[in-house]
This record gives sequence, C-alpha cells and structure tokens, in this order.
Amino acid sequence: MNILEANNIVKRFTHHTALDNVSLHVPEGMIYGLLGPNGAGKTTLIRIINHITAPDSGEVLFDGHHLTADDVSNIGYLPEERGLYKKMEVGEQAIFFARLKGMTRHDATTQLKAWFERLEIGDWWKKKVQELSKGMAQKVQFIITVLHKPRLLIFDEPFSGFDPINANILKNEILELSKQGSTVIFSTHNMSSVEELCQRITLINRSHDILTGDVIDLRKQYGGNRMSLTYRGDTDALCKAIAPMVSLCTVSTPDRDRNLRINIDLTSSMARRDLISTANSVVDLVGFEQLLPSMDEIFISAVANSNLQSQQND
Amino acid sequence: MTNKISLVLKREYIQRVRRKSFIISTILMPLLMLGLMMTPALVMTLTGPENKKIAVIDNSHIIAPALQTDGEMQFITVNEPIDQIKDNEDYEAILVIGKDIISNPNDVTFYTRGSASIKTESFISGQLSAIIEQHRLSQYKIDNLPQILADVKADVSMKTLRIDREEEETTSSIVSYLVGMIMSLMLYMFIMLYGQMVMNSIIEEKNNRVLEVMVSSIKPYQLMLGKILGIGAVAITQILIWAVLICSFTTWVMPSMVGSLFNTTQNIDLLQAITMLGDTGYILTIFGYLTLFLIGGYLFYSAIYASIGSAVDNAQDASQLQSIAIVPIILGMVFSMSVIQDPNSTMAVWLSMIPLTSPMVMMARVPFGIPTIEIIMSLIILYICMLLMIWVAAKIYRVGIFMYGKKPNIREIITWTRYK
Repeated sequence: MNILEANNIVKRFTHHTALDNVSLHVPEGMIYGLLGPNGAGKTTLIRIINHITAPDSGEVLFDGHHLTADDVSNIGYLPEERGLYKKMEVGEQAIFFARLKGMTRHDATTQLKAWFERLEIGDWWKKKVQELSKGMAQKVQFIITVLHKPRLLIFDEPFSGFDPINANILKNEILELSKQGSTVIFSTHNMSSVEELCQRITLINRSHDILTGDVIDLRKQYGGNRMSLTYRGDTDALCKAIAPMVSLCTVSTPDRDRNLRINIDLTSSMARRDLISTANSVVDLVGFEQLLPSMDEIFISAVANSNLQSQQND
Repeated sequence: MTNKISLVLKREYIQRVRRKSFIISTILMPLLMLGLMMTPALVMTLTGPENKKIAVIDNSHIIAPALQTDGEMQFITVNEPIDQIKDNEDYEAILVIGKDIISNPNDVTFYTRGSASIKTESFISGQLSAIIEQHRLSQYKIDNLPQILADVKADVSMKTLRIDREEEETTSSIVSYLVGMIMSLMLYMFIMLYGQMVMNSIIEEKNNRVLEVMVSSIKPYQLMLGKILGIGAVAITQILIWAVLICSFTTWVMPSMVGSLFNTTQNIDLLQAITMLGDTGYILTIFGYLTLFLIGGYLFYSAIYASIGSAVDNAQDASQLQSIAIVPIILGMVFSMSVIQDPNSTMAVWLSMIPLTSPMVMMARVPFGIPTIEIIMSLIILYICMLLMIWVAAKIYRVGIFMYGKKPNIREIITWTRYK
C-alpha cells in the first residue's frame, strides 16, 4: 500500500520547468530517499506534496485519495531552510506550531514536555529562540515536525548543522519513528546517510526522474562487474594474466596480513569463473568479493549520464 | 480553517501587544500630543511678554499721542534726529510719520532691525489707519461723535443653519473643518503605520524562514489573513486605549473648562463648537464612520503592503515597491486638505469614491454632513475593492514568499497572480 503517490507531476514557472512528468510512489512504513543535485526540483516536489503549491498537471494521492488541505495534518515537514520566531519563547512557540497542526493545547504541552525531556532540552522551555545556538534550535524544530505523530514525515537535509553526537541521536529518533510505523521521505545530499537509512530512492535531475529503485538493487546493478581480489604473489604476472577480461585494474595497498589487493572491473559478468581460475593459477588467491558502489558514486554517474544524454538530445 | 487563522491572529496580537515598544508608544503618544499643544502656552508663561521699544518720530504731532501701546510693543515718541536713533540699540524699530499724514496716508516709513513680522506691520498700519480715520471724521465737526461711533459699530457673528435636513440644525464650519482634518489625519497615520507593520512583519518572517515551516501547516492566505487581522487588532486596541484616555479627559477635565468658557465668552462660534462636540449623536456617527473607513482602508492597504512584503527580501528592496502604497495614501491626505475647503465639489465626490483615496477624503467630508447615500456608496466600493485586493494579495503572497534573492518588478509580480 502506497501512502503517497505522485503521478506524472508537471510544474512550470515563467522561465523554466521545475518538474517534468515526475512520479513518486512511497510505500507505507518505508524510509524513502529523494535525491538530486541542487535546483533539480526536489523542493518543488516536496512543496506539492505538502499542498503548498499546486502542480500544473498530474495528481497527488495520499492514502489512496486525492491530497487535500486536511491531509497536511498527517504530514510533518522539516524544511531545509529552517526558521523559528526569534523573539518567542521556545515552549510557547512549539505549542503554537502544534496547535496549527490541530493538536489541543493540553496534548501539545504534555507531549512537548516529554520530547524535551527525552532530547535533554527540558530547561530551554522558557528561553527565547534567539538565545539558542543553531543546533539547539534545530532540535526544537525537529520536535515541532514530529510532535503531532504524522503518518508521513518529510525531512529536508535533517542532519545539516548538527555535530556527530546530535546527528546520531537524531538518526536514532528517525529510525524509532520509522519502527513505530511512520513513513519517512528523506531529501539529502549526504549519501552515507542514504545508504544507512533509506530502502528506496528516487533521483531527480533537471526536473526529470532519472533513477528509481531499492538501494540494494541499485548498488548491485551499478556495481555488477566490480570485483576485489585479495592474494599473495606477483602483481605484474596477475595483471598480465587477467588483462583480456578486465577493463580497469587498480592496485591498492597491502593489508595487515601482507595480503595484496586489486580492484578490477570485469568486461562481462560471465567472466567471473574464468577470472578466478586464471588468477588462481598465477597467484595464491586469498579472497574474492563483489564491490558495491557507494550511493555517492551512483549519484554522480547517474547525474553525469543524464546530463550527457540531454546534451546529446539538444 | 478559521481556527488556524485565529491561531495566527492571536499569536501576532499577543506578541505585539506584549512588546515594550507598544506599551510605551501607546502611553507616550497622547502625552506627546498634549505636550505639543501645551508647549506654546508654557513657553509664553515662562518667558513673559516680549517688550519691543519702537521709536516714533511724529512730524504731524497728531499720531503719536493716540498710538496705543500693547503688550508686545511700546511706542516712545522721540525728538532726536533719525540717524542718532538708528545707532541706539535700545529701539527695535523706528516709525517715521510725515507731516501731512492726514491728507497723505502713504507718508509713513518703518525702519527695522532684521525683517519685520507681518504681525507687527499689520498691527501698526491698522492703528495708523484707525487714528487717521478718526481724525478725518472729527474734522466734520459732528456732535457726540464718539457716542455715534459706538452706536454704529457692529460685530457680525453668523449662525449657520442647514435647510436640506429634516430638522434645522446648527453647524459650525470651523469645527467641521477641524474634525475632518483630524479624522483624515488619523486614517492616514493608522493606514500608513500599520500597513507598513504588516509589510515588515512579512519580510521578517521571510528572512527568518519561519514561513517555510508555517506553510506546511497552514495555507498561505490563512497566514496572510491572520497576520493582517492580528495587526489590525493591535491597531484597534491602541485606538481603544486612546479613546478611553480622551473620554476620561473630556469627562473629568472638559466640564470645568467649558463651564468657565460659557461664563466668560460671548463668542458664538465657540459656543456652537461646544454644543456640536457635546452632541453625543454627532460624535457617535463620526466615530462609527471612522471605524468603518479605518477597517476598510486598513484592510485594503495592508493587502497591498502584504503583497509588497512577500515579494521582496529586505526593507531596502521594499522601499521602491512601497511607493505603490505610499503615493496614493499621501495623495489622499493632500487631497483631503483641499477637499475640506469645498466638501461638495465634483473632485471631492470622485476622490471619495475611489478606494485608493476614499478613506482619507471621505472622512474629511463626513463632518460637513454630506448625504448618507454617498458615504454608503463609498463604503460599498471600498469594501468590495478590499476583498478583491485581499484575493489578489493572497495569490501574490503565495508565490512571493518562496522567491528569494531577486528583486521582482511589478510586471513579474502580476504574472504571479496567474500561477496555480
């Protein structure tokens, strides 16, 4: 069951098209990555999902029905550009935002106090926002986003501005929310957090969806022929022997056990057995594993490919 | 929906009313006004009357004895030659009267140090004219002349009655004039002040990026409306506080002042003014219209200010676009000054129908007792245009608040209204 479906979204502004026929299907309970270079159209898509702007064509379904203004209370959005009223007290402000999402004053107060205790910021309640550091304000903002227990959470760069300790606290909170059943859409440039958290991603570049899929599948797909060999013996002989079936060969430094290691790109996935037997005949093969590319590499190569294609089309 | 608007309204209101600057300005403003009114009187009592000595060289020997010395000017007849007196710093001015002043009234010269004030000149020439006329009259050798003159003297003070009303009522144009002026000034001040407050508050939210958070829980037009209404509520609070202050002033202080005035003055104008202002019905009508035009005008202009605020990043960029709002407000103010001279002119009627100027101009006309149908027409037009303006502003606002880093021109802003 998809909690959110955006189908064939098109959004044009005066001088450019922000989204051109982009679709996004987010299954309930999943942590979903929405990736893309700056200016690709992610924020516009998020704003459409948040019912802030309307698409020129296409539809957004929430929980199977057309998205309405009332569904917004089931969505929690942490925008990339965060802001709070500087001259307002933290607690008062948090209650204000919670009530805008439809909570009663009483519920908001009790739950806020609990969250404040949990994130160890209980004594900030009476402080004005302008007295807080950036990281502190971010924590308050995070609480405001998740307080009303929305079914869908949208985080735009949630970890920016946090030190590693607090980033980790936040990561655990997000995982906990996901465990409790919330669906999370993540928009970030931090690919290691995507690898760690997201099950599926959509990559948008220049207003188009250029890549959608499960993180594990994508990594296998993109790194299908990249292998790493660990061995003892003569590197030159090995390289010469396997040269016919390998397109790229990089030597890396020996590990602690004095094992040598090379990373190679196979020309074809069928050549795996041949590779092993050939290598084994030249050197003493210790290990053989498939190397999965990082999301960083996938991101860069997918974007580069799509840019190349659009240039050719022009 | 409405609940969200009221949440924003409440926040805006409470945050503003709690601020020290609001409390201080609300209390200080009437004190300042009172102070401004009192200062001239205070200065006068503290410094005492100025005593200017004026040397009079009277070659006719008729004028000098008859010159009346008043509080500020003291006439001293001298016989020394003029050059000698010119060097004498004791005398502020020298009045030289020709020998044949009675037959040739132009034969008078007034020497001054520095430029003479119009008041001084007219005071002296008035006295001279009176003395010369008196002298010429006396040459006719009429018996009982002073008695006759006293009998002939008349001081006209008109009572103005309106005949286009069911009941004939007295009006005082001077009071209408003053009331109109004050009303129109108040509207000008409030619309300008609070309209800009709306704009600045939107710019601040945009800079804070609070808007990004807000719009995920509330529709932009609700946010805009809540803000406009919240700030409007602050304006009304301020007016109410001032009204209470003024009312308590008129209840406790005015009666004693008025009482003494009734005993001492014979001035019909003043008496009319007091009866007019003492007429609760009149005051209530005026205040009723003032409130209606204030609300309409404020909402109309704050919608314009809101669109401007949403379109720009900072106050500097706003200053240029702001002229869209400021120019008509100031024009309304300037026009109402001339409308006050002739409240029923064609220009006055038209300007009080166009919503850009109507609040100010119509309020200047209302005290003169213009036909109610005109006021109602003007109000209807104003309120319809206000609703339209809010609708347009909401469209601009929705797009504008997400535009960062570039200063749009008016044409671009207009295209925003067409976005979905």
